[in-house]
Amino acid sequence: MQPFGRLRAGPFIEARGLEYTYSLEGSGRIAALQGLDLAIGWGEFVALIGPNGSGKSTLARHFNGLLVPTAGEVRVGGLLTSDPHNLRAVRQQVGMVFQNPDNQLVASTVEEDVAFGPENLALPPEDIRARVDEALDIVGLLDYRTHPPHMLSGGQKQLVAIAGALATRPACIVFDEPTSMLDPPGRRKVLETIRRLNAAEGMTVVLITQSMDEAALARRALVMHAGRIAMDGPPAEIFEQAEQLRALGLDLPSAVEIADGLRSQNIPLPPGLLTVEALARALC
Amino acid sequence: MLIRVERLVHTYSPGTPLERRALREVSLEIKPGERVGILGPTGSGKSTLVQHLAGLLEPTAGQVLLDGVAAHARTAPPPRMRGGWGGRRLRVGLAFQYPEDQIFEQTVFREVAFGPHNLGLAEAEIATRVRWALEMVGLDPATMEERVPFTLSGGEMRRVALAGVLALRPEVLILDEPTAGLDPRGRRNLLARVQAWQAETGSTLVLVSHNLDDLARVAERAVVLVGGRVVADGPFRQVLSDGELLRAAGLDVPQPVALLQALRASGWDVRTDYLLPEEAVAEIARAGVVRREHANHVRSDRLWYQQH
Repeated sequence: MQPFGRLRAGPFIEARGLEYTYSLEGSGRIAALQGLDLAIGWGEFVALIGPNGSGKSTLARHFNGLLVPTAGEVRVGGLLTSDPHNLRAVRQQVGMVFQNPDNQLVASTVEEDVAFGPENLALPPEDIRARVDEALDIVGLLDYRTHPPHMLSGGQKQLVAIAGALATRPACIVFDEPTSMLDPPGRRKVLETIRRLNAAEGMTVVLITQSMDEAALARRALVMHAGRIAMDGPPAEIFEQAEQLRALGLDLPSAVEIADGLRSQNIPLPPGLLTVEALARALC
Repeated sequence: MLIRVERLVHTYSPGTPLERRALREVSLEIKPGERVGILGPTGSGKSTLVQHLAGLLEPTAGQVLLDGVAAHARTAPPPRMRGGWGGRRLRVGLAFQYPEDQIFEQTVFREVAFGPHNLGLAEAEIATRVRWALEMVGLDPATMEERVPFTLSGGEMRRVALAGVLALRPEVLILDEPTAGLDPRGRRNLLARVQAWQAETGSTLVLVSHNLDDLARVAERAVVLVGGRVVADGPFRQVLSDGELLRAAGLDVPQPVALLQALRASGWDVRTDYLLPEEAVAEIARAGVVRREHANHVRSDRLWYQQH
């Protein structure tokens, strides 16, 4: 089968003057996105961070047309999401994985769950079989294909959800806090899988997270605040701006915090140390 | 309130093909005012254990005693209590792992007021508690009270649900993964406020979390569960710096400990039981000075030998 990432020039996701306002019954309106411009290229690995209520999930839901802008526009693979004729094509290109794996599993065995997407695309059975096997192979769950998903661990359930997204062969997956309910081994496995999807399969990845350590894994970090993009750059550069991050209610990865502390104790260290391993190497 | 868990066994779906033993003879005692962190991988029985502490499950075997009375026993409600058989159970407040699942009211105010209402409190006291609880979780009462909970973001819903439990001002406060999904500032502030409240009231605090860096700021005692059994129970710092135990339990060592261990492995003379970033900085700075002085000595010694 073809690789997932069809590496092309130009942006894959493009937002221009994007505004989104929730209208609330009886309690007014909330402007969740307030005029946002953004371009994400094919094959990028982008972390989306920001305080609760800053608009991260609202933005992510525009990437596959779950929401359409109240003003401005979003294009995915060149297609305008606000045109209902494009919705099917847009959703096929962008898969989503959410925080709570229990809310996104639908079938009684792992393989049926993963087959849900391709079945809805009305593919011939042998294609569905091939896609399910490929997706389960990528996330390392082929041996679990006949297991009931609710008997798996949290991390495994999340991998099933990822396989379900893969089986529709999207060019991009948006992960909305996929690890926040997982234990450390489950979290490691999911993050490893996300990294591999990007590096080996060329998948465009958007990772929403509250963990600065996870954001440091990406090649680009977007910081949201009050419905706008407040900072945009490689994690190493973003995390150098400790004061601005703290002002936005965010934090530093632990390694960066310790490295900053050491620098203020006159211990010279090179910039851009984002992990404990890198920091240990620099000290030795 | 003194909590005693005696040889507690819990089996889900007993006698069916789905039978699963979640707790296997767990015994522990939690004294009034203790701050206990319960750790363990997914499926180790943490959430089952805390539901027993809150009297929500009936033991398959063994018992859970709150001040000597079985936690799950349904007592008749005291006369002044309008809203059912809360009693002893309302002295234990539990916020579930997915607290937003427990939200059901029309406005944030009514959601948070639900518990205090059931305690039979006066309206004025309820309003005070709601405001206090919202501030505890970092939400502005003025702008939030009239919002519809279902229009909030995921992190905000979680805060509202936590506020609903805090508003009970329970003698035993149990938080199951309280900081999951909160932004870093929200996480830090929530833990600091809960800790300050605990210090002021002497309540018992039981925190369940995978996030050891968070627990390190609050807990004084660590109970580690693996496969439904207690595999470690002791002072937090001591348990959390035992890398082998944690790895065997499928947990990560806190990042500062991981760094100190890596340095120690390459010859630094550092202690490895510092759990907080600022503690690690102080320890590395101290050891760094010693290393530099040592290196200077070696260098000047060499120089001396070369010159003579």
